[in-house]
Amino acid sequence: MTEPQSRFERVKALLEEFYVAPHRGAVARARRDEDDLFMLFVFAELMGVPNPAAYYTLELQPLLLERFHDWHRRQGLDHSPLDGFRCC
Amino acid sequence: MDTLLTRPLLFVGGKGGVGKTTTAAALAVAAASGNRRCLLVSTDPAHSLADLFGRTIGNRDTAVTKSLWALEIDPDQQANEHLASVKARMKRLVHPRAYDEIDRQLDLARLAPGTMEAAMLERVAEVMALAGTEYDQVIFDTAPSGHTVRLLSLPEVMAAWIDGLLGHRKRSSQLGSALRHLGGGRVKGDDLSMLDAASDHDEGSRDAQLSELLLARRRKFVRARERLLDREKTSFLLVVNPDRLSVLETIKAHDILTRFSVPVCGLVVNRVLPAEADGAFLEARRQQEAQYLTQIDEVFARLPRVRVPLLPGDVRDLETLARLGRTVAGLDISGGRPAAPA
Repeated sequence: MTEPQSRFERVKALLEEFYVAPHRGAVARARRDEDDLFMLFVFAELMGVPNPAAYYTLELQPLLLERFHDWHRRQGLDHSPLDGFRCC
Repeated sequence: MDTLLTRPLLFVGGKGGVGKTTTAAALAVAAASGNRRCLLVSTDPAHSLADLFGRTIGNRDTAVTKSLWALEIDPDQQANEHLASVKARMKRLVHPRAYDEIDRQLDLARLAPGTMEAAMLERVAEVMALAGTEYDQVIFDTAPSGHTVRLLSLPEVMAAWIDGLLGHRKRSSQLGSALRHLGGGRVKGDDLSMLDAASDHDEGSRDAQLSELLLARRRKFVRARERLLDREKTSFLLVVNPDRLSVLETIKAHDILTRFSVPVCGLVVNRVLPAEADGAFLEARRQQEAQYLTQIDEVFARLPRVRVPLLPGDVRDLETLARLGRTVAGLDISGGRPAAPA
C-alpha cells in the first residue's frame, strides 16, 4: 500500500481500515483453522489418530516443521506431543 | 486372438500354495521368447523367485535370460530409502542438536503399521509404469489374495485422502488471497499472516511445495489405478486348485476383484490329476476332485479357463517352464465365453 498523500486520503484509509479490520481478523482466523486442521492430518499419527496415508504425509513434515511449535501450542498442548521430537 | 501374453500388464493371484509363482514364471518365460522383453515381479513378502530360478534376484531388475528379467520387491528397503530422504530434508531445516531426535522419530515411523504396505504399493505403482515402455510385458506374481485385494483398494483410499488434504490447501490459499484483498494483513500475533505477505517468498514457495508433493503423490496413485482397471492393457489371472479351500477362496477373491472392477480375465485350474495316474488311492481322490472341477465350471462358467495337470516332478528348469507357459498362454481371453476344455 502506498503512503496516503493528503488528509482526505488518510481519512479514507483509516475508515477503510475501520471497516475491514474485523473481517480481516475473521478471515485470518478461518485460514489459521484450516491450516491447523491440515497440520493435524499430517501429524495425526504422532498424536494417536490413525492416518491411512502416514507414510506419504511424512514427506510433508519437513516443510511444516517451523509451524509445528505454534500449532501444538494452539491445540492446547504446552509441550510437544512427540516424545522423540522436542521443540520446546 | 487376445491371450494372456498380449496385454502389457498381467497379475497372477490366488490362495497361497496353489502354484501362483510357477504359473507366473511359466508365463513370463513364454512371454520373453524372441526379442519381447518381460519383467517378472514378486510382491509376496516370502519371495520364491530366487529359489525357482536357482539364483539371487533381490530388489533390482535382474536378468534371468536374454529377454527375461525378475524382481523381488523388498518393502523394507523401499521404506528405508523413503525415510532416509525425509530425514535428510528435515535435517536441512533444523539445528544439528535435533538430529538425534529426528532419527528417533523416523525410526519409529519405519515400524508403524502400514509402512511396509505403503512402501510396497509405491514400488508396485512405479513398476506398473514400466509395462509397455521399458518392458513389453510386466507379470506380477502377487501375494495371497487378501493382501492383493488390499493393495488394489489402497490407491483409491490414498487418492481420496490426498484429495482431502489438497482441498484444505486450496481453501487455505483462497482465504489467504481474500486476506490480501482486505489489506494484505500482517495481523499481530498470528503466525500465519506472514504467509500472505508477498515479500515473504520463502513461506509462499513452501506452500507451493506442499501442494506439489501432494499432487505428485496423487498423480502416481491415479495413474496406477487407471492402469490397473484398464481392460485393454491389463489382465488379472486367478490360479485355483481343485480342492475345497482353494475353490472357496477363489470365489471370494473373484467377487472382490469384480467389485473393484479389476479385469479378471481367466482362471488356471492347476494340479488336476492326469488320467494316467492310476491306483485305488488316486481314483478316490479323482472322484472328489471331479466334484470341485464341476463346481469350478459352474461358478466360473463365464470365465475362460485352462486346466493344468499335476506334474510328476518339480518345475525348475526353463524348458519345463516354457512348455507349461505355452499351455497356459494359449488361453483365449478375448471373449467372456469359457475356453474349450483342455
